[in-house]
Amino acid sequence: MTAPPGPTPREKEVAAEIRRIVREQLHARTEFGDDEELASRLDSLELLSLVVAVEDRFRILLTDEDAAQARSLSDLARIVAARAPEQVAP
Amino acid sequence: MGRALPGNYADQETLTAALRAHWAAQHFNADRLEELHRAVKVKGRHLALPLAAYPPLDTFKKSNDAWIRVAEELGAEAVMRALDDAGLRPADVDQLVFVTVTGLATPSIDAKLVNRLGLRRDVKRLPIFGLGCVAGAAGLARLSDLMSSSPGGVGVLLSVELCSLTLQRDDLSVANAVASGIFGDGAAAVVLAGGSREVKASPRPRVVATRAAFYPDTEWVMGWDFRDTGFQVVLSAEVPRITRENIAGDVDGFLASHGLGRGDVRHWIAHTGGPRVLEAFQSALALPDGALRRSWTSLEEVGNLSSASVLFVLGDLLDSGEPRPGDLGLVVAMGPGFCAEMVLLRW
Repeated sequence: MTAPPGPTPREKEVAAEIRRIVREQLHARTEFGDDEELASRLDSLELLSLVVAVEDRFRILLTDEDAAQARSLSDLARIVAARAPEQVAP
Repeated sequence: MGRALPGNYADQETLTAALRAHWAAQHFNADRLEELHRAVKVKGRHLALPLAAYPPLDTFKKSNDAWIRVAEELGAEAVMRALDDAGLRPADVDQLVFVTVTGLATPSIDAKLVNRLGLRRDVKRLPIFGLGCVAGAAGLARLSDLMSSSPGGVGVLLSVELCSLTLQRDDLSVANAVASGIFGDGAAAVVLAGGSREVKASPRPRVVATRAAFYPDTEWVMGWDFRDTGFQVVLSAEVPRITRENIAGDVDGFLASHGLGRGDVRHWIAHTGGPRVLEAFQSALALPDGALRRSWTSLEEVGNLSSASVLFVLGDLLDSGEPRPGDLGLVVAMGPGFCAEMVLLRW
């Protein structure tokens, strides 16, 4: 039995950027854990704010299906990294 | 009570469409603006001016000049309705408290109303700027304090909020997108008569007690950033959480100091902060379904009118004829500080 693969460097980079967005644009005062459920910390309006900021930052569109799959910050980072594999200048 | 709404009404779709071009200029996905505007559960709003009159308001002076003009008109209408409702005349007014957070005037709007409505030369005026959404409840509480030394007197609280005239169209933050979807314009006035004063309107509640609750080190949660073009909204997504964490303790403490509990309150008159704030009130206070229905309806019909909102909800309750002698009602609002204000009423 093998452990699931860890995050790629790109996913780690995206996760760090999403953390910055949460901290600076949503003014969250405490850090998120990688696997902490986003919906347990953010209400629907906050989640929408996060989605807007992520779409702007990475120039991607997130669908309702993406949102349903992005239960945690690392899930979201994985979806965004797959959609926006290249570095996008802020 | 008297309420006044400007004649210019726009439904939410029309308002969203008007702002979409600005949003699309900056944001990658303009459809999100519509999503944000739908999420706040507002169907439409009354505006100080017709929609077409807003684009030319590109300086603070232009917006604020419009604010002064409309605030005086709408304020006069609300005060006259409130006095008529109480069977009183402008000359009966001893105290006039004016609250707003959406525009500036010196002499203040209350002074203009002395001239316009023919209030007495010795009327005591108190304009209050800056309390924001909490000022409907706070104004009622402060006026009640003032009236306690004037048992035969008549006091009027007037709230005028023209939120649409503060909108910064080039602020493309999500906070501003939410604010542009939720805040509307309106004015409300409440007459408080001293205990020994007879008024026509009845049955009307008495103010039993008031309570303020300040939350230290939460200045960043809500307010204005002042910029050359006017007032830029500060609205943290943490408002519902702070509400949820504090409101039950504050309400319980206030009620307990009068030998009461939540179950004794029959009418909840809550500020229509927004869906998340109302849900936070509902869940934190474990209120029965429907306890906040008038706040929800008001939010849906006219949006969040800042300080005037809780007074609109109070007016709707008074109009309903539902309260019975002996009923208790609790007015609750929250606003910049961050803070809460409560007013306990008994019919």
